[in-house]
Amino acid sequence: MATATSHQSIVSFASHRSSSSSSSTISQCLLREPLLNLPISKGFKIHSSLSCNNHTTSKKRNLCKIKAVASSQTETSVSSYNNNTFLSPSKNIPDLSKKKSNEAALILIRHGESLWNEKNLFTGCVDVPLTEKGVEEAIEAGKRISNIPVDVIFTSSLIRAQMTAMLAMIQHRRKKVPIILHDESEQAKTWSQVFSDETKNQSIPVIPAWQLNERMYGELQGLNKQETAERYGKEQVHEWRRSYDIPPPKGESLEMCAERAVAYFQDNIEPKLAAGKNVMIAAHGNSLRSIIMYLDKLTCQEVISLELSTGIPLLYIFKEGKFMKRGSPVGPTEAGVYAYTKSLAQYRQKLEEDSEVICS
Amino acid sequence: MATTTISHQAIGSIVSHNRPFKASLFLKEPLNVPMKLSPKRFKIEATASQVIDNTVLSPSKNKPFESKKRSNEAALILIRHGESLWNEKNLFTGCVDVPLTQKGVGEAIEAGKKISNIPVDLIFTSSLIRAQMTAMLAMTQHRRKKVPIILHNESVKAKTWSHVFSEETRKQSIPVIAAWQLNERMYGELQGLNKKETAERYGTEQVHEWRRSYEIPPPKGESLEMCAERAVAYFEDNIKPELASGNNVMIAAHGNSLRSIIMYLDDLTSQEVTSLDLSTGIPLLYIFRDGKFMKRGSPVGPTEAGVYAYTKRLAQYREKLDEASLN
Repeated sequence: MATATSHQSIVSFASHRSSSSSSSTISQCLLREPLLNLPISKGFKIHSSLSCNNHTTSKKRNLCKIKAVASSQTETSVSSYNNNTFLSPSKNIPDLSKKKSNEAALILIRHGESLWNEKNLFTGCVDVPLTEKGVEEAIEAGKRISNIPVDVIFTSSLIRAQMTAMLAMIQHRRKKVPIILHDESEQAKTWSQVFSDETKNQSIPVIPAWQLNERMYGELQGLNKQETAERYGKEQVHEWRRSYDIPPPKGESLEMCAERAVAYFQDNIEPKLAAGKNVMIAAHGNSLRSIIMYLDKLTCQEVISLELSTGIPLLYIFKEGKFMKRGSPVGPTEAGVYAYTKSLAQYRQKLEEDSEVICS
Repeated sequence: MATTTISHQAIGSIVSHNRPFKASLFLKEPLNVPMKLSPKRFKIEATASQVIDNTVLSPSKNKPFESKKRSNEAALILIRHGESLWNEKNLFTGCVDVPLTQKGVGEAIEAGKKISNIPVDLIFTSSLIRAQMTAMLAMTQHRRKKVPIILHNESVKAKTWSHVFSEETRKQSIPVIAAWQLNERMYGELQGLNKKETAERYGTEQVHEWRRSYEIPPPKGESLEMCAERAVAYFEDNIKPELASGNNVMIAAHGNSLRSIIMYLDDLTSQEVTSLDLSTGIPLLYIFRDGKFMKRGSPVGPTEAGVYAYTKRLAQYREKLDEASLN
């Protein structure tokens, strides 16, 4: 696999240049991901060198900018440096405690099809599970992030998001074990205690939070979308669904949903990222849009028209207090989702059109 | 598959014409047994199928079953979850909330296929994700297509927020109740420890005693007796009344909590229960009738046919079919 080789080259390249070879930074892990499946091309070399020039600080951060793969020439020469002393994909246990960077990955996954999506019913906070299709979407999402490090997982308190996270993590290559934390009572806390430090180190805490739940749809929950339109009128329903601050009866507006979701993010998730922990959030359309609104500083207008794909994870890098988007929310084609740069996306799209082969 | 559907409808017509719905009829549908060769009672089904008209329940219009049901019979399905990530790593799990492996996911789906034609009105799970996922994955295979909905009552807000505002939708729902009392036996200080290391630390015999005795708990943990106490109490208080009202129940839980319940259902001795091993992925079926529990599937099924041994003759017949189809 050309991609695999090129990744190893980048990684070896990194070890050669960086001062601390044993630690693994997000950048190294990110570079290992075969998300793009891009073959080598000259164009990327140019891009990577431009990025390198921008950096004056840690060498490790430089690596983050070398998104693109080196050209085939570099590949063969660098690959000779690749020996067993460096991380190979099979020894995927980077020692995160040595990580000195302020960089952290943030993965957002929107759950896939639920049984009420299938029946066209307003779901909101009713705890409806995934369909078979939704299960597959979760597994597919997991494959895409299988090489991105995950240290802690946040989910909503709804099973469809939790299942999505757990199914996605089955695909994860690092093989740390997600463990759902229980603090609903003293007994729950005591009973779920782990008595081995080694095991704890090999665990990824999973924290369920109602603040990440889907927007609560009040009196529309359980109603058929068509019937609701007949009962309240299409325009009224459209307004509830698409306005920013008008809630359905006894429900939440997007504004209200954003308020509790973003507050939770700022209080509980951002500090983790600031501490260098890589985070995955498995949640819902509206709670994730709210968070993206905060991450990307969107206007109310922009967030209303934001559509998140299901099954296609979004990637952000948190660095020096800033969030940098690495994957676009609306991907008309698969390539669009991992548009690290526009030219990369276009290049990939072209490849797919030419070959008519679906990248797995 | 088509055969099963016809028998489904046939049972339906028997019901509407003759007597109130009985879960036992519903459950006696042949699992992949061709109609022609079936024992006498299925012959009735074959003739009845000729009188099926549109007013009879088709699998898609399943509502009337519940309201007309006057029988005291109910089905009880027990499913033990499959492989978890710590099973794979050979770590003592207990009440640590560890999810399923890919294999465990597959086992849940397989289990679902086996019970896809058995009615389910209510689902009870433990509070651990591996049991909940097992239930939800199994139900994706269910033919009736009612939607499981997990009830939330951890707070007033949780209750309010999860409210369903359509009567019709509620009727098409299967409430799912999560209960810590159905959790796996709490393994105390062994939780998270490697089985081999624990044997080295405490001695193989001591560990064996904790794992297999009835009343000796590991340090800070539960004995099987303690686990049985809270699991059976929960069953008697919350699940049995539902069965008594004629509701068909599925329980998705763990090795020890299910053994405890089976000990109660089958009147086992403590000796018998400690040697009871439940297969994962193969659901157990009981019929609750007139206050009694009748086992319809053996916990340890050497072959698939053995698990659904409604009668010995049926099991042997099915086994014969399976062997024949291999040639």
